[in-house]
Amino acid sequence: MLLSVQGLRKSFSGRTVLQGVDFSVAAGELVAFLGANGSGKSTTLRCVMGITAPDSGSISIDGAALDSLQGRELQQARQRMAMIFQKIHLVPRRTALDNVCAGALARIPTARSLTPMLFPADVQQEALDCLDRVGLADRAFDRVGRLSGGQQQRVAVARALCQRADVVLADEPVSALDPHAAEQVMALLRELAHSEGLAVAAVLHQPDLALRYADRSIGLLQGSMTFDLPSTEVTAQHLDTLYAPDRNIAA
Amino acid sequence: MTPQTLTPAVARRDTTAKSRVALVRPKKPLRWITTTAVAAAVVGLHAVAIEGTDFKPELLVDGWKGMAAFIGDAFPPDLSWEKTIRPGLEATLVTLWIGLLGTTLSVPFALLLAALAAENTSPHRLVYQVARSVLSFFRAVPDIVFALIFVTAVGLGPFAGVLALICHNTGVMGKLWAESMEEIDAGPQEALRTAGANRIQQVANATLPMVVPQFVGLLLYRFDVNVRSSLVLGLVGAGGIGLLINQSIKSFQFDSMLTHILIVLVLIIVVDQFSAWIRRRLAA
Repeated sequence: MLLSVQGLRKSFSGRTVLQGVDFSVAAGELVAFLGANGSGKSTTLRCVMGITAPDSGSISIDGAALDSLQGRELQQARQRMAMIFQKIHLVPRRTALDNVCAGALARIPTARSLTPMLFPADVQQEALDCLDRVGLADRAFDRVGRLSGGQQQRVAVARALCQRADVVLADEPVSALDPHAAEQVMALLRELAHSEGLAVAAVLHQPDLALRYADRSIGLLQGSMTFDLPSTEVTAQHLDTLYAPDRNIAA
Repeated sequence: MTPQTLTPAVARRDTTAKSRVALVRPKKPLRWITTTAVAAAVVGLHAVAIEGTDFKPELLVDGWKGMAAFIGDAFPPDLSWEKTIRPGLEATLVTLWIGLLGTTLSVPFALLLAALAAENTSPHRLVYQVARSVLSFFRAVPDIVFALIFVTAVGLGPFAGVLALICHNTGVMGKLWAESMEEIDAGPQEALRTAGANRIQQVANATLPMVVPQFVGLLLYRFDVNVRSSLVLGLVGAGGIGLLINQSIKSFQFDSMLTHILIVLVLIIVVDQFSAWIRRRLAA
């Protein structure tokens, strides 16, 4: 298993958000996280990514537990994970190519990363290849702000590729996109998992997207996992229990 | 799933359409007391301020003749080329150059201090506090005081004015830039942090490119202000058209003074239009 997480717990000022989450994602697999608002889906990804510090639990990349690593080794292990955000988080005024190059900053000396003009030529070539893999090589020199939402999210995926990540964590990657763009981005994530062997974990708000694109789906309910099944085996019953909290709030 | 849950709600709204919800604003009994207290405090402060500034309109009414004589002496403006207009235009250029250099040469200092004094880009809490204090100091000391200090070092002339503006403008622009960096969306910076970029790389490749339009807008605004400040600096000997205005007042040549003021008016309008034009292009 490329990414394996055990006993993840987190509480924010007394309120328990995650009460022991265990899961793993294999290379070449797209796993979807489903759950109502506040079920802990995003917190799970943010804890794995190290943006939020978990209270307890262990995270292993390719068999190496992160808390057994230190300094440079820990940094290198962390860089094998890249995050895709709901709000995309690119710099709109910069070109697609410059934004993708920024994924490689950890490999570029600080002096050569002060402005895109100084980025090494091989990094720029690699960034262009990454844009080609998401189908946007022809838009490399367009400002990101001029691209559509779906194209922007694909540029963000290319940035993750340029980071040379083999684990991609996507936090509601398609929530801000129109249905067609959402399908495109999901198809791209599945394609990258299946043909390039990435381990992709995506938090999704739309169960139908998850069941159609993900190899496996994990249901979270109030910080605990209710199912971890191949997407083909997830039933309406499963989903019904999962989204009960949302309906109670609405009622 | 959704149609079933929606239908009853719509139906209920239809049947109860006649018995409407009563509009009752929640009463806030203390509000009028607060309003009266604030109004009384404002009036009281103004009474003290009028006393403190010897604000007596009757003095203005009684003394209108002095003012009329002064303005009358200024008309018609002296339009002689050699004596007034040519020196006036030359001095106006100097004023413009003081404002320009005072703005541009403060950019590196303002940029560095702004990056250290913005919460989202500062490397350490202590650095943040120190940078804030330095900016506050440069902002608190008026440019005219800086000019007087520099005059004692480099003598009378435009150079002292440039140095004074660099100091004061560093304080003001650094503060304005730091604030606009703090208001910027933190997302791109966080994205680069998760990608393993160090602090300098995050600032150079996310924060700074995000704030460029705001920075340029504020820079132009400061250029506008600094050109006007450099006029005042001329009054204390820092050269430029301000110096000529001061000299013509002291030698009772009010007609020359009026010409110089008209030239200044043109300069201010030109600078204002220029920066408005750039900002429009930037927004497009």
